[in-house]
Amino acid sequence: MRRTTTLVAVLAGSALALAACGSGGGGSTTTSASPTAASSSAPASTTPLVVWAGPTQTEAIKAVALKFEQEKGVKVKVVEYDFGKIRDDLISQGPSGKGPDVIVGAHDWVGKLVQNGAVAPLELGDKASEFSPVSITAMTSGGKVYGLPFQVENIALMRNAKLAPEAPATIDDVLSIAKGLGSKIKYPLVVQQDPTGGDPYHLYPWQTSMGSAVFGLNPDGTYNSEDLTIGNAQGIAFANELPQLVKDGVLKSTITYDIAKDAFLKGQTPFWITGPWSTADVKKAGIDLAIDPIPTVGPNPAQPFVGVQGFMVSAYTKQAVLANEFVINYLGTPEVAKALFDIGQRAPAMTSVFEQVKSDPILAGFGAVGATGVPMPNIPEMDAVWADWGSTEAAIIQGKGDPTKLWTKMSASIQKKIDG
Amino acid sequence: MAVIESPAVVRDEIPEHRRRPFGRWFRESGWRHIVGLLALVFALFPLVFVLSASVNTSGNLTGSTAIFQSFTLDNYEALFGDPSRPYGRWFINTMVIGAITAAGTVFLCAIAAYAFSRFRFSGRRAGLLGLILLQMFPQLLAYIAIFALLSAMEGVFPAIGLDSQLGLIMVYLGGALGVNTFLMYGFFNTVPRELDESAKIDGAGHARIFFGIILRLVTPILIVIGLLSFIATLNEFLIASLVLQDPDKQTLAVGLYKFVSQRFAENWGVFTAGAVLGAIPVVLLFQFLQKYIVGGLTAGAVKG
Amino acid sequence: MSIETPPRPTAEPSSEQSWGRTRTPIGVILLKIVLLSLVAALGVYGTLSLWAYGAPWPAAAMAVATAVILYIYISKKRVPLKYLVPGLVFLIVYQVFAVVYTGITAFTNYGDGHNSTKDNAVTAILREKETRVPDSPAYPLTVLKRGAILAFLITDPGTGEAKLGTAEQPLRTVADATFDNGKAVGAPTWTTLSFTDILAIQDDVVTLRVPVSDNPNDGSIRTPDASNGYVYLSTYRYDAATGNLIDEKTGTVYVDNGTGNFEGPDGKTIDPGWRVFVGFSNFTSLITNESIRGPFLGVLVWTFAFAILSVLTTFVMGLGLALVLNDPRMKFRRTYRSLLLLPYAFPAFLSALVWAGMLNTDFGFVNQVIFNGATIPWLSEPWLARFSVILVNLWLGFPYMFLVSTGALQAIPSELQEAASIDGASGFQILRLVKLPLLLVALSPLLIASFAFNFNNFNLIYMLTGGGPRDIDADVDVGATDILISFTYKVAFGGLGRDYGLATAISVLIFIVVATISAISFRRTRTLEEIN
Repeated sequence: MRRTTTLVAVLAGSALALAACGSGGGGSTTTSASPTAASSSAPASTTPLVVWAGPTQTEAIKAVALKFEQEKGVKVKVVEYDFGKIRDDLISQGPSGKGPDVIVGAHDWVGKLVQNGAVAPLELGDKASEFSPVSITAMTSGGKVYGLPFQVENIALMRNAKLAPEAPATIDDVLSIAKGLGSKIKYPLVVQQDPTGGDPYHLYPWQTSMGSAVFGLNPDGTYNSEDLTIGNAQGIAFANELPQLVKDGVLKSTITYDIAKDAFLKGQTPFWITGPWSTADVKKAGIDLAIDPIPTVGPNPAQPFVGVQGFMVSAYTKQAVLANEFVINYLGTPEVAKALFDIGQRAPAMTSVFEQVKSDPILAGFGAVGATGVPMPNIPEMDAVWADWGSTEAAIIQGKGDPTKLWTKMSASIQKKIDG
Repeated sequence: MAVIESPAVVRDEIPEHRRRPFGRWFRESGWRHIVGLLALVFALFPLVFVLSASVNTSGNLTGSTAIFQSFTLDNYEALFGDPSRPYGRWFINTMVIGAITAAGTVFLCAIAAYAFSRFRFSGRRAGLLGLILLQMFPQLLAYIAIFALLSAMEGVFPAIGLDSQLGLIMVYLGGALGVNTFLMYGFFNTVPRELDESAKIDGAGHARIFFGIILRLVTPILIVIGLLSFIATLNEFLIASLVLQDPDKQTLAVGLYKFVSQRFAENWGVFTAGAVLGAIPVVLLFQFLQKYIVGGLTAGAVKG
Repeated sequence: MSIETPPRPTAEPSSEQSWGRTRTPIGVILLKIVLLSLVAALGVYGTLSLWAYGAPWPAAAMAVATAVILYIYISKKRVPLKYLVPGLVFLIVYQVFAVVYTGITAFTNYGDGHNSTKDNAVTAILREKETRVPDSPAYPLTVLKRGAILAFLITDPGTGEAKLGTAEQPLRTVADATFDNGKAVGAPTWTTLSFTDILAIQDDVVTLRVPVSDNPNDGSIRTPDASNGYVYLSTYRYDAATGNLIDEKTGTVYVDNGTGNFEGPDGKTIDPGWRVFVGFSNFTSLITNESIRGPFLGVLVWTFAFAILSVLTTFVMGLGLALVLNDPRMKFRRTYRSLLLLPYAFPAFLSALVWAGMLNTDFGFVNQVIFNGATIPWLSEPWLARFSVILVNLWLGFPYMFLVSTGALQAIPSELQEAASIDGASGFQILRLVKLPLLLVALSPLLIASFAFNFNNFNLIYMLTGGGPRDIDADVDVGATDILISFTYKVAFGGLGRDYGLATAISVLIFIVVATISAISFRRTRTLEEIN
């Protein structure tokens, strides 16, 4: 074996010399075929730790990566990745061994990642108590925590306080406030939709207000994939409420994100249901902004989905110790949480940092609404729900058929997908 | 030569800068301008929105029909202000990768087309057909296959493995033979074989016939295919984003996408500004290369 | 012809080369030698590297390929291959590989839940089934080594006692351990490993389980980070001999069911599974799957209509513009041409988004400005949506046809045109009788390729309408503009997860359909024949 490798090196070297081209450069890779753990005096691993992060987290992680490099002598390569592709690319690329060691992920990916055996559970130890309980629960699947949470986000009602000094509690309040403002108001309220795909995420608060949920709950508070409740009486009631909302002028299938934003910024509407991602633009436009709970349309409170983002360790990592060390002891610090907050402006999951920043009324506003929200289901079955859900809502909003019939059909179709 | 036909009246009314009378001008090229202008309106008006978004402060793409509500060059400045998003670098990378891929594609394509056009060998027809049928295979999973291939290659040939621009170019060259070969093949067939024959009698080998005679006669199609390949490389996103991870190595399509990839945090202003700048080289290149496409044939070819 | 009389030094300036009857110049021979040595060197290097890498078959393939290539170029015969090989090498390595890979996937269960090997699945399952003992403390932990044996040294947070154990030897108290800040960091005869040492053997450390006591029900200590230990209990065991998974607590045996999952006696399977070959089951499930069969015919018809109309519209517009702008008397025609290329030079997904915005029923430019405030549901009424998809595809696709037609027009000898016009043919007659037939011969392969491309034009449909508007009468998620490939995507990826096996099976079938149609079309064109 030893002899072959030497032979290879010599031949490869001469081949390269003969070719007089430097494109090979792989001699070292081939000769050091299998680095064994035989000698403990071996230098620290030279393979860098690879982190996939979304665009808004990259900078904050790079700073702490530098610290890690200095203290542990191991390079950390932070790759700015298309956030929407991280989950699926980890699943498809991880088994090849070329994937990341650590990813930034959303809590609702956990079910799918576990189903594929793509993430390793984290042992947070006592550290778990440093985070808001809901954020830890969101990252939990089958009794194990798979992510170190750093931020929580949800939608709420944005109010132009100059136009509407009081927060509306119900849709009727919204309508009467808008009426009082007269003709300068084009829409009583805007909420973004997609003309063909709908937008169930942004309509979910009103669905919960009618008492409907997608899945039932297990006794321990996790979602029960065997109990699809979306098609029950409350769900049908919500479906039948949609045409009324359209008639009231608070829901329109053609109002996209851009159009909703434009209307709010121009003062054509006093209310906009959206998330913290819109805050920067609104502030820039100099609007007197207040954050309120979403007005109800039914007997129950309007609860938005709450999403939690966190750091996860790939199950395929060959550097499990390093990856865990980096996630728990370096990324899981108040400094990093603060840095991530400064860029992302989302409520920090770490309690101490949230305390630091909660004096900001906008953040506190979103946080208060989030506290009443429900976590987005993190079971893999949720994948089967979105497409049918959205296109059916869009069809109802556009008045294309009987809401009860469409909704029942949708529920059956989703159930069929879940059953396989 | 036949300008005299036109009635004198018209000539008097229209001053000397118009050499042709209107009626004739219209019949010959005036209507062409009308068609051309209509086509331009159709081709360009959606892009007005892109341009408008690139100089708009709001960062919206499709917000309203009122275009050019505000004017700012901030978005263009932002392109060059962020070291973690090196636009200038992406631009150069794209041009280099595009140029090499285009040159390689033209070369591989041309020699293959020559073989198909000038030699008769068994499997020729099947080969031609196979080339085009192969390209019809749905590419739904190609990216997973390419990833598997490149990550395996990395162990042996790191220079053409993952995160390597050369590796990306190689993948692109994998698509060189295909429908383009057909286009060239058809063009090669229009070059009279007598040219080859006479050169052969003069003792020229196949290589000299190809490089010395034929290649010069098919310049228009070489340029067209080079341009097609260049543009395709410029806009290719899927494979490029899979292969290139280091921001300094990435291409425009991959890099720019980062500005809009974060859901709800899309920065359309900067993205569109980058896309506008990225489209300029294509237009300039075509403007410059046109003389080789149109009328390239008559210049050095079949006179005599 | 300037070329016919060779040894004429005073030839026209266009003949830049000397056409003498000389032998191959020495420079060319040298170049050939250098290039061939390069190929040989790379081949040898690649073969040996692959061999050393532990890949004997690819190494053999590389060696054979190198030998064949060298033979082709050294041999005096095989002239066509000399010209074909360079392109073919790239084609085979990248394209053919991708096609074969995809084809093979159609016979596997690859997809969510079956994305890796059995080994990985076993590891993941064992890790998931291992639970931390409730309310057990976290133990400060140090990794020690003696010879080849690794040990954990833990500090009991209650008593402050140091305990040491290895994989075979359960924890027992160490009397003379050294402490640092209350944490045991060393024991006699054992070497304490530094963090750097541990990094080199990370896998061994995180997979080490040290039993708490002789009773296996007390669990064992493991560490994720080499500095904290936790007590875990696992009752699952993988039996390598039978390939089954056993729950030792209940005695349940989960057998490898042959289709990539462990299956219990009650028929329930455990996630994750792994990738296995499943024969033709993806294909048969296509036929039996009702949600595919139902809308299939409608989708198929629309796919053909979409592909054919897309080719026709883009070709007519592209060719028409090429002809119109091909008149030398016309001014600014270069500028026209360059600007017409612009739709092609922008990222397609950006264009699709802009179009979706422009076609918005209530706020879009098309309704607001062109139709003066009408509310035409361009993208939400089935027939209008189909029309819009073709319109947008025309916008995206005509520059390609325009460019290609412009190039192809140059291949038509101007003598032909002149001859025809001398014979008194009108402009339109020249076009119909002279130009068009010649152009069609040159361009028909492109039209067929364009048909095939649009048949599978997933991106356009996905970005513009997502296949919508949804057919509200259908029991499954299918829309008016869904073509086969976007419908495939919905079926294979829109359910419980991505089912690559099913998706590729459909792709293979689509390919067979498209390839057959194309091959027949080719036979009907004269492209494969000689034209001269």
